[in-house]
Amino acid sequence: MDRQALQNQIIKEALEQGFTDCEVFYLGGESFEVLLMEGEVSNYENSSEGGVSFRGTYEGRTGYAFSERLEEDTITFLIEAAKENAMLMAEEEREELFGGEDYPEFNGYYPELEQVCVEKRIQLAKRMEEAALNGAESVASLDYCVLGIGKREVAIANSLGLNISYTKNFASGYVSAIAKSGDETKKGSAFWKGTNWADFDPEETGRKAARRGAALLGAGTVDSGTYTAVLDGKAMTALLSSFSGVFFAENVQKGFSLLKDKVGEKVAADCITLRDDALLEGGYASVPFDSEGVAGKNKEVIEHGRLKTFLYNLKSAKKDGVRSTGNGFKAGLTAPVKTACTNFYIQKGENSLDELISTMGNGLYVTDFMGLHAGTNAVSGDFSLSAEGFYVENGRIVNPVEQITIAGNFYALLLDVLAVGDDLYYASSGKGSPSVLAKNIAVAGK
Amino acid sequence: MLTKSVVENTLSAALGTGADFAEIYMEQTKRNIISVVNGKVESAQSGLDYGAGIRLFFQNKAIYGFTNDTSEKNLIRIAREAAAAARGDRIYQLQGWRKMNLACMNPIRIMPDEVEKRKKAEKLFLATEAANKYSPLITQTRTGCLDIVKDIFIANTDGLWAEEQRVRSRFTVEAIASSATEKQSGHLGPGASMGFELYDEIDVEERARESARIAVTMLGAKPCPAGRMPVVIDNGFGGVIFHEACGHSLEATAVARNASVFAGKMGQQIASSVVTAIDDGTIPNGWGSSAMDDEGTPTQRNVLIENGILRSYLVDKLNGRRMGANATGSSRRESYRFAPTSRMTNTFIDNGQSTTDEIIGNTEFGLYAKQMGGGSVDPATGSFNFAVLEGYMIRNGKIAEPVRGATLIGKGMEVLQKIDMVGDNLARAQGMCGSISGSIPTDVGQPMIRVKEMTVGGRG
Repeated sequence: MDRQALQNQIIKEALEQGFTDCEVFYLGGESFEVLLMEGEVSNYENSSEGGVSFRGTYEGRTGYAFSERLEEDTITFLIEAAKENAMLMAEEEREELFGGEDYPEFNGYYPELEQVCVEKRIQLAKRMEEAALNGAESVASLDYCVLGIGKREVAIANSLGLNISYTKNFASGYVSAIAKSGDETKKGSAFWKGTNWADFDPEETGRKAARRGAALLGAGTVDSGTYTAVLDGKAMTALLSSFSGVFFAENVQKGFSLLKDKVGEKVAADCITLRDDALLEGGYASVPFDSEGVAGKNKEVIEHGRLKTFLYNLKSAKKDGVRSTGNGFKAGLTAPVKTACTNFYIQKGENSLDELISTMGNGLYVTDFMGLHAGTNAVSGDFSLSAEGFYVENGRIVNPVEQITIAGNFYALLLDVLAVGDDLYYASSGKGSPSVLAKNIAVAGK
Repeated sequence: MLTKSVVENTLSAALGTGADFAEIYMEQTKRNIISVVNGKVESAQSGLDYGAGIRLFFQNKAIYGFTNDTSEKNLIRIAREAAAAARGDRIYQLQGWRKMNLACMNPIRIMPDEVEKRKKAEKLFLATEAANKYSPLITQTRTGCLDIVKDIFIANTDGLWAEEQRVRSRFTVEAIASSATEKQSGHLGPGASMGFELYDEIDVEERARESARIAVTMLGAKPCPAGRMPVVIDNGFGGVIFHEACGHSLEATAVARNASVFAGKMGQQIASSVVTAIDDGTIPNGWGSSAMDDEGTPTQRNVLIENGILRSYLVDKLNGRRMGANATGSSRRESYRFAPTSRMTNTFIDNGQSTTDEIIGNTEFGLYAKQMGGGSVDPATGSFNFAVLEGYMIRNGKIAEPVRGATLIGKGMEVLQKIDMVGDNLARAQGMCGSISGSIPTDVGQPMIRVKEMTVGGRG
C-alpha cells in the first residue's frame, strides 16, 4: 500500500475504534554495501525496507504497536495490539502528540550520490583496498574493506494534523588493515562518510588505516599507576557516547543519572563546552525534526564547564515544565520514543594534538578503547576499559602500548580535563570530540 | 509463507544471472516486550517483523538483498539486481524440492502470544517488589519480559524446502543500590526457547533478590586492585570468557579470511589439556537451540576443542566453500536484514575434574569473578576484555572481601593455555551476541575455572 494512504487509513480506523488521538511514524530506507576481499567483491548487499510504528491514546493511556508488513490486513493488528498495550500503561505516563511548528530548512538528500554506477563504486572500494595493502610494509591483509550508501526516509502523520517528512542519504567507506610482525597482530582502521563522492579520497583512507595498524606494532605494556593522558578524539568520543545518557532528562528524572539538580553548576572543566546540534551543516546526525515532530535545535549542554540543560523529549519536558529540546527519538520502529543525541560533541579548543602531547611531557596517548558495552556503568559513571595507544616521554611518542586497562569515572574525567585540542573528530553516529588532555587516569599494566 | 510458484520464479530469476546457488529466506516474527521501571510499566510494545532475503553465490562470492515487499515482482527485482555486481559464466537449472523433516527441538507448552499481557506484567511487578524488599539500599529497578514467535521459511536451489517456528522467552531484572555518592547494579536475564512456561521454570522473585544481592554487595565493595594475578571464574555466565576469548575466533567468518589467530591450527594443541569445549545447537529448549540453522542445515553438537586440541571450527555454507569444509549447522542471522554467517549457538567448556573447593583452596591470592558482565573480542588480534559484575579477592585459599570495577583483559590464545583447573559444576546462562549477522540469542557456559595469570584492571 502507498505510504501516505496507509498512514491516513490507520489514523482513520484508530479514531473510529476509540483512540482519542494517534500517530503513524514511518521509517523507510534503502542501502547498498559492497565488501571486498583480495581484490574481489566477496559480499554485496542491496536492500529496500519500510515499516510503520503506531501510537495513540486509548482510554487516557498511550499504546504502541509496529509492523513491517505494510498491507491493509496489518491495520487491525496494529490497533488491537496498541489497545492491549495501552491498558498496561499508567495514565500519568501518557505521551502527548505534537501538532507541529515552524521547521528549519533541511538539505540532507543528495540524489547524485546514488547516480554513480555500481561498477564505479566497486572501483572506489578496490582503490581503497589497494592503498591499504600498500600503505605499510607490515600490512599483508585486510580485516574489512566496505563501501556503502544509505538512504533513510522518515514521515510522521498524526490526528492533530501533523504531516511531515524528510529524506537523507550518505555514502561511506571503511577499511581496517591487519599489520603483522612475527606473532604480533595489530589492526588499524579509517573511515570516510560524506554526501559527495568527490570528497572521498580512497587512497588517503586506505593509507591511513595501514599506517595506524603498523604504528601499533612493537607494543609493550606500562607500569600500573596513575597517569596524565591525552585521549584522542576517537577515544574520547567513545567515552562520551557510552555516557551520553547521563544528560537525558528522562534518566535524570528516573534516578539513572548523577546530574540531578546540577543545572547551572560546574560539572566539567572550564575548557569544556558540549553541544547537541541537530542543525549542524553536513552533520552525520542532522535532522529537521525529531521522532515526535519537534523541530531540531542547537543547544549548549555544557558551557565552559557549567551544565546548561538536559536533553528533552515532550514527555520529560512536560515533567520539568520546560520545552522539548527536540531530542525525542525512536531507536527504530520497535522502540518507543526515548531520548537520543543528534550531533553531540565537545567544541574544539585551541591546542593542536602535538601541543597537547608535548604539554603532557610524560604519559599516555590513548587512541582506542575496547569493550565499551561491558566495561562501563552508565549509572555510576565508572568505566574500566581495555585501551591501546602510545607511551609518551618528554613530549615525544616513544612506544606503542597494548594490554592495558584504563579505569576511571566519567563525571570525574569531565572535571579532570586540562586542555582541549583543535582536532574535532566525528564518529559516524554524529557524536564527536577533539583530543583532550586529562589527569588522574588509572592504568593497569604490568 | 510463499507459494511454490513465487519461490520457483524468484530462484529461477536468480539462477538466470549465472549464480550457481540461490536461496530465499523469509520470516514473520511476532514480538512482545514489556518493561517495568521502578514498579511502573514504562513501555509495552507489540509488533510484526516481516521480510525476505535473497542470497546468491557465484563460487565464493556472495550477493545479498532484502526487502519487506514480498511481492513476486519485487523479489525477482532484488534477485536480478545482483547481476549488477556479478555474473556467472554458465546458467544452472533449478532442481526438484526435498522437503526437510525436522525433529522438534524445543517443545512449547504455552504460546506466549496467547497469554494476556497483564499476566506478563504481573511477573514483573512481583520481581520489582522482591528486589525492593531485599534491602532499603535498592533505589531503582528495571525488569523486562520479552517473547518472540518467529516463523521462518528457507528454500534454495539445492532443492531445500524447510520451515520452522521458533519461540523464545526471556525475563530480565536489574536492581540498583545507592549510597550518598555511589550507584551499583546487579542484573540477570534468564531465557529459553520456551513459551510462557519459562515462568514455571524460573522463580522471578528469587532472580530479583539475587540481582539485589549483587548490587548491595558491590555497593559496599572497594575498587579492585590492578595487576597480573590468578583469576577464578565461576560457572554459568563466566563462560562468556570462552565465548569471547575463543569462540568468535573459531567462527569461519574470521577463519576463512585468515583473520583469526586459530586459522591453520586444526589438530593442534591450542588450549591447556584440561579444556574441552563444545557448541551444541541441539540442547532441548536451549536459548540458542533450533532444529536447523538459518540456511537450512540441521543443527548439531560440535566438539570444538577436545583436551586442548582444536577439533572443529563453526562453519557456514559460504565460508565452507572458501575453506573446503562442511557446514556445521552454525549459520545464523538476526533477521532477514542480515545474510547468515557462522556463529555460536550454545557454547560451553565441559566439566573437568576439580571441585570448586579445590580450586579456591589452591589459590593463595587472586581474583574470584563470581558474576561476569559482558565483553568483546577482536578476532584478528585475539585481544578481549570482560567486565566483572561481582568480584571478590581470594586470600590464603579463601574468598575474602568484595571488589568492584574489575576488568579482565588478555589474548585468547594465551588465556586458553593458562587455564589450569576446570571444575565439575557446568552451568549455562543466556546472552545476546552481536556480530556481523546481527544480534542473536546464544548460551554461554562453563564450570568454575582457574586462569593462572591474567591482567586485571581496576582503580584500587
